[in-house]
Amino acid sequence: MTSLDDISKMFHIEFEKLDKLINSITPQSELSIHEIIELYYQIINMTSMIAMLKQQVDSNYPKSLIGKISETEKIISKKFNLDIHPQIMTKLVNSIHDTTVNLQSSDSTQKSKDDVENEAKRYEELRQKMSTQEFVEQYDKGLSYD
Amino acid sequence: MIEELAKNLVNLKQEFTKVYVGTSHIQEVIPIHKSKMFPIDENHLQLLHHFAKNNPIYYNFYEQKILEIPCIVYEGDINKYWLNSIQYGSSHAPFSPTWIMSAYVSMLFAKDFGFLEIIDIGSGDGRIAYCAKILNLESYSIEIDEMLVNLQKPLSTILNFHPHCSDAVQFDYSLLNLQKPVFFIGGLAQMGGIELATGILKKISLILKNVGWVFAGTYSLKYNSDPKNNAGWGTFMDEHNLKHIQSILLPTVWTFHESDATPYIFTQANE
Repeated sequence: MTSLDDISKMFHIEFEKLDKLINSITPQSELSIHEIIELYYQIINMTSMIAMLKQQVDSNYPKSLIGKISETEKIISKKFNLDIHPQIMTKLVNSIHDTTVNLQSSDSTQKSKDDVENEAKRYEELRQKMSTQEFVEQYDKGLSYD
Repeated sequence: MIEELAKNLVNLKQEFTKVYVGTSHIQEVIPIHKSKMFPIDENHLQLLHHFAKNNPIYYNFYEQKILEIPCIVYEGDINKYWLNSIQYGSSHAPFSPTWIMSAYVSMLFAKDFGFLEIIDIGSGDGRIAYCAKILNLESYSIEIDEMLVNLQKPLSTILNFHPHCSDAVQFDYSLLNLQKPVFFIGGLAQMGGIELATGILKKISLILKNVGWVFAGTYSLKYNSDPKNNAGWGTFMDEHNLKHIQSILLPTVWTFHESDATPYIFTQANE
């Protein structure tokens, strides 16, 4: 059996990871696909942990853990859901639009092999952005059910 | 003999994936000459190469021996067709073709089973209908995406495979005066193929009985399997009383990086 101390320790470690990720983001941040996935993964991870811990909470729970749970909930509901998440959605939509327009306006005649293959990489990036957008939209739908 | 040809083509593809060092979006091979592994009419082979060399989706080609068979490797890119199809929501599934050699082999089967006309649904660049024409079968390609139909038009000047820009579910098949047709549905059951096939089957059943159907399937774990199997089409076949004739594996662009080839399920309406 995992002790309450172990659970508390694990929660604090996961909180530190989330806090570091959130604090590194500014309105000017241009997050890579990898960074976006990592951030949402940590949000979902912590949300699940909180849901599980709250089902079991009793008077034996350390006060520091209860305080950390509350602090994490505030960070997720205020800072992430109301600020960072909409910012990521908007940037993804704009980026997909710009890349699409750019690829469509590209002259399709007289391209060298290298030109075609470099352009194919941009199409691959576009597909990755679109997949990420779908994932982020799924998160957003989840929020509207809360 | 055709089964052997199909197996040899799958082996050729498997070897090609090992030796291919390029970075193109799509790639495929066609043997240059008739051989023991590929006992194909030389004129037919020339027409297959002619299709590839005149098709703007391919931007590069070169000779390479694969399994000791001299072949031409064709490198291409279909990204702009993908972007067009998803942007306008015009199609059930984005354009991703079967190999030209696979189109030819599947037409050999269709001819061997006694079908007289080929109707390729969601025909992309028209390669299946083109290959049918090589074998003197009457052929029609139905494609909803105008950009792809415009790609087919110059290719249909080599052999006229009758490109039609239309929604296959709305198309009036009675105009074609079909006698014993086979319909090719290239989209996977799990990617809109069922809806497409259902719509066409309902229309066709009003005008013809003795109809063949060929479905592209998958055994990939990425997709939900069908409880009645047949590569995703089993339940559909049962519901519409379609008799299984043959399943055959052939290489396609979308399985290039996978160890499995694409199963094509040949069926016929039960009398």
